[in-house]
Amino acid sequence: MSPSVLICDDSNMARKQVLKSLPELWKNSVQTATNGAEALTILRDNSVEVLFLDLTMPGIDGVGVLQGIKKLNLDCSVFVISADIQPEMQAKVKALGAKEFIRKPVKPDILVSHLKNHGLL
Amino acid sequence: MSEFQLTEDQQDCLQELINIAMGQASDQLARYLDTFVYLKVPSIESVDAKDLLQILSQQQNTMAVVSQGFFGYEGIRGEALLAYQDEDSGRISDLLGYEPGELSEDEQLIDISSILTTTFLNVFARQIGNQMSYNAPKLLPSVQNSMSEHLQQISFSWDLALKVNINYQVTDYSFNCNMILLIPETAIINIKHVLDRILAEF
Amino acid sequence: MFDCTTYMPTKDTGKSVLSEQVLKQVNRQIANQLNTGVMVLDSAFNIVNWNRFLQVHTDKVSEDIIGQSIFHAFPELPERWLVRKFSAVMQLNTPSFCSWQQRHHLFELPHTRPITTDSEFMAQNCTFLPIETDCKSKLICILIEDVTDVCHYQEQLQKTLDELAQISRIDGLTQIYNRRHWQESLKQEFAKAQRHDKALSLIMLDLDYFKLLNDNYGHQCGDMVLIEVSALISALLRVEDLFGRYGGEEFAIILPETNLAGALELAERICRKVAAVSLSYNDEAIKVTISLGVAQCSGEESSYEDLITHADSALYQAKAQGRNQACTATT
Repeated sequence: MSPSVLICDDSNMARKQVLKSLPELWKNSVQTATNGAEALTILRDNSVEVLFLDLTMPGIDGVGVLQGIKKLNLDCSVFVISADIQPEMQAKVKALGAKEFIRKPVKPDILVSHLKNHGLL
Repeated sequence: MSEFQLTEDQQDCLQELINIAMGQASDQLARYLDTFVYLKVPSIESVDAKDLLQILSQQQNTMAVVSQGFFGYEGIRGEALLAYQDEDSGRISDLLGYEPGELSEDEQLIDISSILTTTFLNVFARQIGNQMSYNAPKLLPSVQNSMSEHLQQISFSWDLALKVNINYQVTDYSFNCNMILLIPETAIINIKHVLDRILAEF
Repeated sequence: MFDCTTYMPTKDTGKSVLSEQVLKQVNRQIANQLNTGVMVLDSAFNIVNWNRFLQVHTDKVSEDIIGQSIFHAFPELPERWLVRKFSAVMQLNTPSFCSWQQRHHLFELPHTRPITTDSEFMAQNCTFLPIETDCKSKLICILIEDVTDVCHYQEQLQKTLDELAQISRIDGLTQIYNRRHWQESLKQEFAKAQRHDKALSLIMLDLDYFKLLNDNYGHQCGDMVLIEVSALISALLRVEDLFGRYGGEEFAIILPETNLAGALELAERICRKVAAVSLSYNDEAIKVTISLGVAQCSGEESSYEDLITHADSALYQAKAQGRNQACTATT
């Protein structure tokens, strides 16, 4: 059973990179968003189980989305995938409920191992 | 000019590579300065180098420009210009943690510029399987007229200017500078090949 | 002892390459023939290697140098600053530079040029490079380039340009006469007026609250104001009037064959025009006013400087009376 997945990143290439790294079965139930506002709309109206979230986006950024999820009390496993790798940022997103912080560029084996660690695979 | 134009996919790929490079370089910088750097999305604009002068002079407060040559393999080379505004150049000694009077303002500017340029380009080079070496950074003469002349000279030797607007915000104060990468025609062609190679993987 | 065929063609490419050992020998000789100093430090800043250039130019002996802290071997080095540079190189894995234009030299090495220069020491461009090897800790390579010639010629050029600027009469920013030339002109006009018994008047003027303007809007705005006001005033003058920049925000006008009444009338007109003009900077409207002091050559003055003093005290009076006005010297 593949969960419903949302990939949120303003870069087309980054979204493709995440998609490519997903387990084969998961690739069928993937939605994408190009900014934070779009992501929150999708999250609110659908039940998204796993979210792959970029941090540096114009408008509502990754932190904004995490805050939105908390506010709406949504049940969603969030994996932050970002270029901003500073320890303070990593701690911040985890404190806001992200399951994991993954460095860009994302690699399939690393993504899969994180999903396994959190019991999603 | 159309040879220099990047396709939408290539542009997107380049933006992402620059984002990743910026993220890592900022982290390195933050460790070094023992602080936290707020990262904003660097905006990228490719312009004809001949229009460079016009672009820089549009930003009225351009007070100082530091230039540094960079050289990589496969013909990927160019000149990096860091343009600072009046307000920012004064804050650098605070940023670098120097005692007042320990270093001249010019030297501080040159130092931070070299750090910003080389950390970013090193990471960027790694992303594209390349490696950079550098010339010593130079502070361009700051009198308005002679700077324009110098910039005009520079822009005639290069074909494309990639303007990457970097905004560094460091905990207590914001520090803004524009980085402009000037690249010759051969390098642009090579970069496009690299971008296509990367895009082909997806 | 190696024979001549110490290079071994590789089986794969068929190209000739040098053996590892021979390559080492070649590199060592190149390093020692270079006209650049090469020094390698370990992460504790001890000298672990250096080349012949440095041996020869420092007059120090390898046995004494290798293994020593660089700061012990070269006590003239600015330790605090240099340690910071080295740390950046190692931590960020990026090169760092120091050109002769920032610091004339780091290492006190006597220069060997036949030309006499301002310094007894070699002017240097230094590069600091991170070196990664199989050993765990990082090394730093220092390259020291002798640029004494460049430095010397650059300084000569700058001296000549400075002299040229001195000879030139124009104030760079406002493009009106600079103080030196204006003052020369006043001296001449004064002498002329005395000789031919002609009237001569002087206006000294000053931008009001200029420092405040600079503090509020920045120096670039201040410069813009100086340029605009100079242009405005220039347009109101006759060909024979001599307008110059006397100080930072101080200007002066020589009015040959003009009496006090005429000079005052002009001063008031200038005052009104400047107060009326609306300048803009960064989309903000900027208003400026000036204060003016007017004096006429009375014949009592012993020198042209006295005339300046009179006009100056009139200017002071205008300031004291509330600014944005013209006053005449009250003897």
